Amino acid sequence: MARKLQSGEAKAEMTPMIDVVFQLLIFFVVTLKQEDILSRLMASRPAPDKNAKPEQQPDLINIEINRWGFIVKGRKLSLGELDRQIRSYAAMSKTANVLLRCTSDSPHEYLVEALDLCAKHGMTNLSIFSM
Amino acid sequence: MARRKPNSESAEMNMTPMIDVVFQLIIFFVVTLKMSKEINKDIELEDSIHGETITQENMPVQTIVIEVSRRTKIFPRGKVSINNAILTDAALGQIITKRYNKFGSFPVLIRADWRAKHEDVKRVMDICTARGCWKIGFVAVQEHKETTSHHARRK
Repeated sequence: MARKLQSGEAKAEMTPMIDVVFQLLIFFVVTLKQEDILSRLMASRPAPDKNAKPEQQPDLINIEINRWGFIVKGRKLSLGELDRQIRSYAAMSKTANVLLRCTSDSPHEYLVEALDLCAKHGMTNLSIFSM
Repeated sequence: MARRKPNSESAEMNMTPMIDVVFQLIIFFVVTLKMSKEINKDIELEDSIHGETITQENMPVQTIVIEVSRRTKIFPRGKVSINNAILTDAALGQIITKRYNKFGSFPVLIRADWRAKHEDVKRVMDICTARGCWKIGFVAVQEHKETTSHHARRK
Protein backbone atom coordinates (compact mmCIF):
# COMPACT_ATOMS: atom_id res chain seq x y z
CA MET A 1 0.00 0.00 0.00
CA ALA A 2 2.78 2.32 0.96
CA ARG A 3 4.50 1.49 -2.31
CA LYS A 4 1.46 2.26 -4.34
CA LEU A 5 1.35 5.75 -2.87
CA GLN A 6 4.97 6.33 -3.76
CA SER A 7 4.51 5.29 -7.33
CA GLY A 8 1.55 7.68 -7.44
CA GLU A 9 3.84 10.50 -6.29
CA ALA A 10 6.38 9.70 -8.95
CA LYS A 11 3.72 10.19 -11.55
CA ALA A 12 2.99 13.69 -10.23
CA GLU A 13 1.46 15.99 -12.80
CA MET A 14 4.02 17.80 -14.88
CA THR A 15 1.67 20.42 -16.29
CA PRO A 16 2.01 23.05 -13.53
CA MET A 17 5.78 22.74 -13.56
CA ILE A 18 5.91 23.15 -17.32
CA ASP A 19 3.61 26.17 -16.99
CA VAL A 20 5.93 27.79 -14.49
CA VAL A 21 9.01 27.01 -16.54
CA PHE A 22 7.45 28.56 -19.64
CA GLN A 23 6.45 31.62 -17.67
CA LEU A 24 10.01 32.04 -16.42
CA LEU A 25 11.39 31.50 -19.89
CA ILE A 26 9.10 34.15 -21.37
CA PHE A 27 9.91 36.53 -18.53
CA PHE A 28 13.67 36.29 -19.08
CA VAL A 29 13.41 36.50 -22.86
CA VAL A 30 11.33 39.67 -22.61
CA THR A 31 13.39 41.37 -19.89
CA LEU A 32 16.72 40.55 -21.50
CA LYS A 33 17.92 43.87 -22.80
CA GLN A 34 20.66 44.25 -25.29
CA GLU A 35 22.87 47.10 -24.24
CA ASP A 36 24.44 49.61 -26.57
CA ILE A 37 28.09 49.05 -27.32
CA LEU A 38 29.94 52.14 -26.17
CA SER A 39 33.19 53.58 -27.36
CA ARG A 40 35.50 56.11 -25.80
CA LEU A 41 37.45 58.91 -27.37
CA MET A 42 40.39 60.01 -25.30
CA ALA A 43 41.93 63.44 -25.56
CA SER A 44 44.18 65.54 -23.43
CA ARG A 45 43.24 68.85 -22.07
CA PRO A 46 45.69 71.72 -21.61
CA ALA A 47 45.51 73.30 -18.14
CA PRO A 48 42.86 76.00 -18.01
CA ASP A 49 45.37 78.63 -16.90
CA LYS A 50 47.97 77.76 -19.51
CA ASN A 51 49.46 80.87 -21.06
CA ALA A 52 50.91 79.27 -24.16
CA LYS A 53 49.22 80.47 -27.28
CA PRO A 54 48.37 77.58 -29.55
CA GLU A 55 48.81 79.69 -32.67
CA GLN A 56 52.56 79.92 -32.03
CA GLN A 57 53.22 76.21 -32.45
CA PRO A 58 53.94 75.56 -36.10
CA ASP A 59 53.15 71.86 -36.58
CA LEU A 60 49.74 72.22 -35.04
CA ILE A 61 46.56 71.26 -36.83
CA ASN A 62 43.85 73.63 -35.82
CA ILE A 63 40.24 72.61 -36.04
CA GLU A 64 37.81 75.19 -34.84
CA ILE A 65 34.40 74.01 -33.73
CA ASN A 66 31.61 76.51 -33.36
CA ARG A 67 27.86 76.26 -33.21
CA TRP A 68 27.55 75.98 -36.99
CA GLY A 69 30.23 73.42 -37.67
CA PHE A 70 33.93 73.01 -38.33
CA ILE A 71 36.46 75.59 -39.52
CA VAL A 72 39.91 74.65 -40.75
CA LYS A 73 42.27 77.34 -42.03
CA GLY A 74 39.44 79.85 -42.03
CA ARG A 75 37.26 77.72 -44.26
CA LYS A 76 33.98 76.20 -43.13
CA LEU A 77 33.94 72.45 -43.75
CA SER A 78 31.20 69.87 -43.82
CA LEU A 79 31.72 66.57 -42.00
CA GLY A 80 32.78 64.87 -45.24
CA GLU A 81 35.24 67.64 -46.05
CA LEU A 82 36.67 67.48 -42.53
CA ASP A 83 37.09 63.73 -43.00
CA ARG A 84 39.15 64.30 -46.16
CA GLN A 85 41.13 67.09 -44.51
CA ILE A 86 42.08 64.93 -41.51
CA ARG A 87 42.93 62.06 -43.85
CA SER A 88 45.40 64.26 -45.71
CA TYR A 89 46.93 65.41 -42.40
CA ALA A 90 47.16 61.80 -41.21
CA ALA A 91 48.96 60.84 -44.44
CA MET A 92 51.68 63.33 -43.49
CA SER A 93 51.98 62.47 -39.82
CA LYS A 94 49.77 60.60 -37.42
CA THR A 95 51.57 62.05 -34.42
CA ALA A 96 51.03 65.69 -35.33
CA ASN A 97 49.31 67.71 -32.66
CA VAL A 98 45.66 68.21 -33.39
CA LEU A 99 44.06 71.06 -31.52
CA LEU A 100 40.30 71.12 -31.33
CA ARG A 101 39.26 74.63 -30.43
CA CYS A 102 35.66 74.71 -29.28
CA THR A 103 33.59 77.79 -28.73
CA SER A 104 31.47 77.64 -25.59
CA ASP A 105 28.20 77.63 -27.54
CA SER A 106 29.21 74.73 -29.78
CA PRO A 107 27.19 71.54 -29.28
CA HIS A 108 29.02 68.56 -27.85
CA GLU A 109 27.91 66.61 -30.92
CA TYR A 110 30.47 68.33 -33.17
CA LEU A 111 33.34 67.73 -30.78
CA VAL A 112 32.56 64.01 -30.67
CA GLU A 113 32.24 63.90 -34.47
CA ALA A 114 35.63 65.56 -34.87
CA LEU A 115 37.23 63.23 -32.31
CA ASP A 116 35.67 60.27 -34.08
CA LEU A 117 37.25 61.31 -37.38
CA CYS A 118 40.61 61.74 -35.67
CA ALA A 119 40.26 58.22 -34.25
CA LYS A 120 39.29 56.96 -37.71
CA HIS A 121 42.52 58.23 -39.24
CA GLY A 122 44.67 57.25 -36.27
CA MET A 123 45.64 60.71 -35.05
CA THR A 124 46.98 60.23 -31.55
CA ASN A 125 47.90 63.64 -30.14
CA LEU A 126 44.61 65.33 -29.59
CA SER A 127 43.96 68.22 -27.32
CA ILE A 128 40.85 70.17 -26.62
CA PHE A 129 41.00 73.89 -26.10
CA SER A 130 37.98 75.92 -25.09
CA MET A 131 37.45 79.45 -26.26
CA MET B 1 -33.42 22.65 -20.81
CA ALA B 2 -30.78 21.48 -23.21
CA ARG B 3 -29.76 25.10 -23.77
CA ARG B 4 -29.67 26.19 -20.16
CA LYS B 5 -27.41 23.48 -18.81
CA PRO B 6 -24.20 24.34 -20.69
CA ASN B 7 -24.81 28.05 -20.02
CA SER B 8 -24.99 27.63 -16.25
CA GLU B 9 -21.93 25.39 -16.40
CA SER B 10 -19.81 27.96 -18.15
CA ALA B 11 -20.86 30.58 -15.59
CA GLU B 12 -19.43 28.35 -12.88
CA MET B 13 -16.16 28.07 -14.79
CA ASN B 14 -12.96 27.64 -12.80
CA MET B 15 -11.47 31.08 -12.20
CA THR B 16 -8.15 29.95 -10.75
CA PRO B 17 -6.08 29.81 -13.99
CA MET B 18 -7.33 33.24 -15.04
CA ILE B 19 -6.40 34.75 -11.69
CA ASP B 20 -2.99 33.07 -11.97
CA VAL B 21 -2.38 34.63 -15.35
CA VAL B 22 -3.57 38.06 -14.22
CA PHE B 23 -1.23 37.99 -11.22
CA GLN B 24 1.64 36.94 -13.43
CA LEU B 25 0.96 39.85 -15.74
CA ILE B 26 0.76 42.29 -12.83
CA ILE B 27 4.07 41.05 -11.40
CA PHE B 28 5.64 41.18 -14.85
CA PHE B 29 4.70 44.82 -15.45
CA VAL B 30 5.66 45.92 -11.94
CA VAL B 31 9.11 44.43 -12.34
CA THR B 32 9.78 45.70 -15.86
CA LEU B 33 8.54 49.19 -15.03
CA LYS B 34 11.10 49.46 -12.28
CA MET B 35 13.87 48.24 -14.58
CA SER B 36 13.19 50.75 -17.30
CA LYS B 37 13.35 53.59 -14.77
CA GLU B 38 16.94 52.81 -13.90
CA ILE B 39 18.21 53.91 -17.29
CA ASN B 40 18.98 57.58 -17.62
CA LYS B 41 16.96 58.62 -20.60
CA ASP B 42 17.91 62.30 -20.51
CA ILE B 43 21.29 61.61 -21.98
CA GLU B 44 21.49 60.66 -25.62
CA LEU B 45 25.00 59.98 -26.74
CA GLU B 46 26.50 60.89 -30.07
CA ASP B 47 27.65 58.04 -32.35
CA SER B 48 31.28 57.18 -32.82
CA ILE B 49 32.02 54.04 -34.75
CA HIS B 50 35.79 54.54 -34.79
CA GLY B 51 36.42 55.05 -31.10
CA GLU B 52 37.92 52.41 -28.85
CA THR B 53 35.29 49.96 -27.63
CA ILE B 54 34.60 50.11 -23.92
CA THR B 55 34.63 46.72 -22.25
CA GLN B 56 34.80 45.82 -18.59
CA GLU B 57 38.37 44.63 -19.08
CA ASN B 58 39.80 47.78 -20.64
CA MET B 59 38.12 50.17 -18.25
CA PRO B 60 40.39 50.94 -15.29
CA VAL B 61 38.60 50.57 -11.95
CA GLN B 62 39.52 54.08 -10.91
CA THR B 63 37.71 55.59 -13.90
CA ILE B 64 35.03 58.04 -12.99
CA VAL B 65 32.09 58.62 -15.32
CA ILE B 66 30.52 62.06 -15.21
CA GLU B 67 27.24 62.76 -16.98
CA VAL B 68 26.46 66.11 -18.54
CA SER B 69 22.94 66.72 -19.80
CA ARG B 70 21.64 69.21 -22.29
CA ARG B 71 20.34 72.52 -21.03
CA THR B 72 16.76 72.59 -19.84
CA LYS B 73 14.61 75.17 -18.10
CA ILE B 74 15.21 73.47 -14.76
CA PHE B 75 18.93 73.10 -15.40
CA PRO B 76 19.90 76.12 -17.49
CA ARG B 77 23.61 75.28 -17.10
CA GLY B 78 23.29 71.60 -17.91
CA LYS B 79 22.87 68.93 -15.28
CA VAL B 80 26.12 67.41 -14.01
CA SER B 81 25.75 64.05 -12.32
CA ILE B 82 27.51 60.84 -11.36
CA ASN B 83 25.31 57.72 -11.48
CA ASN B 84 22.29 60.03 -11.80
CA ALA B 85 23.09 61.86 -8.57
CA ILE B 86 23.06 65.55 -9.42
CA LEU B 87 26.13 67.46 -8.30
CA THR B 88 27.08 71.07 -7.91
CA ASP B 89 30.49 72.18 -9.20
CA ALA B 90 31.80 72.32 -5.63
CA ALA B 91 30.58 68.80 -4.85
CA LEU B 92 32.12 67.45 -8.05
CA GLY B 93 35.39 69.16 -7.12
CA GLN B 94 35.36 67.49 -3.72
CA ILE B 95 34.73 64.08 -5.22
CA ILE B 96 37.59 64.50 -7.69
CA THR B 97 39.96 65.76 -4.98
CA LYS B 98 39.13 62.83 -2.67
CA ARG B 99 39.61 60.33 -5.47
CA TYR B 100 42.84 61.97 -6.54
CA ASN B 101 44.23 61.72 -3.00
CA LYS B 102 43.36 58.03 -2.99
CA PHE B 103 44.45 56.89 -6.46
CA GLY B 104 46.61 59.65 -7.91
CA SER B 105 45.70 60.70 -11.44
CA PHE B 106 42.80 58.68 -12.79
CA PRO B 107 40.94 58.69 -16.10
CA VAL B 108 37.76 60.69 -16.39
CA LEU B 109 35.03 59.74 -18.84
CA ILE B 110 32.45 62.32 -19.76
CA ARG B 111 29.07 61.01 -20.83
CA ALA B 112 27.64 64.12 -22.37
CA ASP B 113 24.43 64.45 -24.33
CA TRP B 114 24.97 65.32 -27.98
CA ARG B 115 22.92 68.48 -27.45
CA ALA B 116 24.95 69.60 -24.43
CA LYS B 117 26.75 72.90 -24.82
CA HIS B 118 30.50 72.78 -24.88
CA GLU B 119 30.53 75.37 -22.09
CA ASP B 120 29.04 72.87 -19.64
CA VAL B 121 31.41 70.12 -20.77
CA LYS B 122 34.27 72.60 -20.45
CA ARG B 123 33.24 73.37 -16.86
CA VAL B 124 33.51 69.70 -15.96
CA MET B 125 36.84 69.33 -17.79
CA ASP B 126 38.23 72.40 -16.02
CA ILE B 127 37.25 71.03 -12.60
CA CYS B 128 39.05 67.77 -13.44
CA THR B 129 42.20 69.27 -14.93
CA ALA B 130 42.54 71.80 -12.11
CA ARG B 131 42.74 68.82 -9.73
CA GLY B 132 45.27 66.88 -11.74
CA CYS B 133 43.23 64.58 -13.98
CA TRP B 134 44.47 65.01 -17.52
CA LYS B 135 43.16 61.89 -19.15
CA ILE B 136 39.75 62.87 -20.34
CA GLY B 137 37.60 60.77 -22.59
CA PHE B 138 34.17 61.08 -24.07
CA VAL B 139 31.66 58.27 -24.19
CA ALA B 140 29.85 57.70 -27.47
CA VAL B 141 27.79 54.89 -28.92
CA GLN B 142 29.58 52.49 -31.23
CA GLU B 143 26.65 50.30 -32.00
CA HIS B 144 23.04 50.96 -31.12
CA LYS B 145 21.15 47.98 -29.75
CA GLU B 146 18.94 49.36 -27.06
CA THR B 147 18.57 52.96 -28.21
CA THR B 148 18.32 54.50 -31.65
CA SER B 149 20.71 57.03 -33.07
CA HIS B 150 19.44 60.58 -33.33
CA HIS B 151 20.95 60.68 -36.82
CA ALA B 152 18.78 57.73 -37.84
CA ARG B 153 15.71 59.36 -36.35
CA ARG B 154 16.28 62.57 -38.27
CA LYS B 155 16.21 60.81 -41.63
